Amino acid sequence: MTQVTPSTHIRSEAEIAARVKALESIMIEKGIMTTEAVDRFAEIYENEVGPRLGASVVARAWTDPEFKKRLIDDATTACAEMDIGGLQGEDMVVVEDTDTVHHVIVCTLCSCYPWPTLGLPPNWYKAPAYRSRMVREPRTVLREDFGYDVPDSVEIRVWDSSSEMRYWVLPQRPDGTDGMSEEELAGLVTRDSMIGVGPPKSPSEDQSP
Amino acid sequence: MRTETTEIGDARRRVEQLLTALPGESEQLTFEHPWELRAFAVAVAAYHSGQYDWSEFQLALIDAIRRWEGAEQDAPWRYYDRWLEALETVLSGTGVLSGTELDDRTRGSNSCTVQSYAGVPA
Repeated sequence: MTQVTPSTHIRSEAEIAARVKALESIMIEKGIMTTEAVDRFAEIYENEVGPRLGASVVARAWTDPEFKKRLIDDATTACAEMDIGGLQGEDMVVVEDTDTVHHVIVCTLCSCYPWPTLGLPPNWYKAPAYRSRMVREPRTVLREDFGYDVPDSVEIRVWDSSSEMRYWVLPQRPDGTDGMSEEELAGLVTRDSMIGVGPPKSPSEDQSP
Repeated sequence: MRTETTEIGDARRRVEQLLTALPGESEQLTFEHPWELRAFAVAVAAYHSGQYDWSEFQLALIDAIRRWEGAEQDAPWRYYDRWLEALETVLSGTGVLSGTELDDRTRGSNSCTVQSYAGVPA
């Protein structure tokens, strides 16, 4: 088995772009993929699979207690009911925020993340600093890096995702949302609130058209 | 189990119907450079064509990140450098990619890269 020797040379952006392009062209020539397939995956993951899907799941859980029960019980199956699933979503676990417990997700080893519901992870999620600090001092990181003050009375639990288990957070339904439709509620659910580094929006700050 | 293609297709159609945008989403770009998105998509495409199990790729990624974190680094942290390293490792492991093939090809294609990627919407 040939092992690639990791390069110690620091590649410039142009060099690494050339390397990726070369890799893609080799794969295409060998019949492993087509340019169209690569284009399609690039397009789908960049623009179309994103936290809106997770937001729609959260909104349903806020309005349908039976669905919420199923979601907490087995997130992958419950999401499949809404036709949401796929790569990196095989073993999702949803953890529910309450008045006394707040959850945050991290992947200390790499960047495991529930793609089907949250899209691809933001850059800071993949950064070494977030991955190591969130485990050690979550309350401080939430306050200093995200401006999110979790009261001392609320316990913070940090969930380390892995390739076997991808966690994400069911935030608490904001106050003052009693008459809102599922679709309107979904508009309040932010990506950060499903990672646990921010609250969902309150109805008064939702200025989206 | 490789049924994601249709699921993704469905997801895509469904998202088009979801009009609720999440404000603030664009402030954190997932991909900073077009090559990162390309490297990402090549890995997904290779997986879908059955070159490796996704878990193999993940283990390679974990290793690549660990090696970087364990070494004295002058280079800045770039997640997709590690991603590419992992991708090269798994593709070499399956024999699809041979040792110097990629180096040779990269040298040959250096000149036109930037222009051709500029056309990819990012």
